[in-house]
Amino acid sequence: MGNQADAEDVVQEAYVKAYRSLTSGEFDRRSSTNTWLYRIVVNGAIDAKRSRKRRGEASDEQVDLGWDGAAFAEARMALSELDDWLRALPTDQRAALVLQSMEGLNNTEIAKIMGVSEGAVEQRLVRARATLRQKREQS
Amino acid sequence: MTERDDIEARLARLSGATDALRPSAGFSSRVMLAIERENAPSFFETTWFSARRLLPVAAIAAAMAVVWAVQVDGTVDDEMATSYAAMELE
Repeated sequence: MGNQADAEDVVQEAYVKAYRSLTSGEFDRRSSTNTWLYRIVVNGAIDAKRSRKRRGEASDEQVDLGWDGAAFAEARMALSELDDWLRALPTDQRAALVLQSMEGLNNTEIAKIMGVSEGAVEQRLVRARATLRQKREQS
Repeated sequence: MTERDDIEARLARLSGATDALRPSAGFSSRVMLAIERENAPSFFETTWFSARRLLPVAAIAAAMAVVWAVQVDGTVDDEMATSYAAMELE
C-alpha cells in the first residue's frame, strides 16, 4: 500500500469482511484459513490501490516517520524505499512479487490467493522482475 | 551476482528491514469497534423486527375494524330500509 495508515485501513476492512463471511457461513473451508485471509487482504489492497489510482490520489508520497523509536523509523524508511522501487509495477505483479519474496509463499499458494492459475502467477513474477531490471538499467 | 540475485537480495533486505513494522497504537481497538458496528442492527432490521412484533396487534385491529364496518353497514342498511318504507307509506 505504500504507507502504514492505508495498510491498516485495508487490514481492518479485511477483518470485518472475514468476520462477515464467518458469521454468514460464506466461508466454505475449501481453502485453508490462511489462504482465505491472505486472499481477502490482497484483494482489498488491490481494490484500494486501483480506486486510489482512479481518483488520481498519490498518498504513497508521504510516509510519516513519527517518533516511535529508531528501529521503527528504519522500518518505515525501508517501507518507503520498497514502495518507491515497486511503484513501477502493475498492482497484480506487485502483489505476486511481495507474496513470493517477502511473505515466502510458493506459486501454488499465490495462485490460490489471487484466484489465477500458477502459469499466470509465474508470468506476473517474470514480468515484474523484467520491469525492475529495466528500471535499474534506466537509472 | 546475477541480476535476479540482485533483485532477490534487495527484496530480502527490505523484507528484513520492514519486519519491525507493527500496527499503530489502538489498531486492535479500532478493528474490534468496526466488528462491533457490524453486529449492531441496521435501521431496516430494527424497523422490521419492531414491525413483526406489532403484526398480531395490527391483525386483531384490522379484524375489529372489519367487524365494526360490517355492523355499521348493516345499521345503515336497516335505517335506509326504514326510511324507504316510511316514504312508500306516505
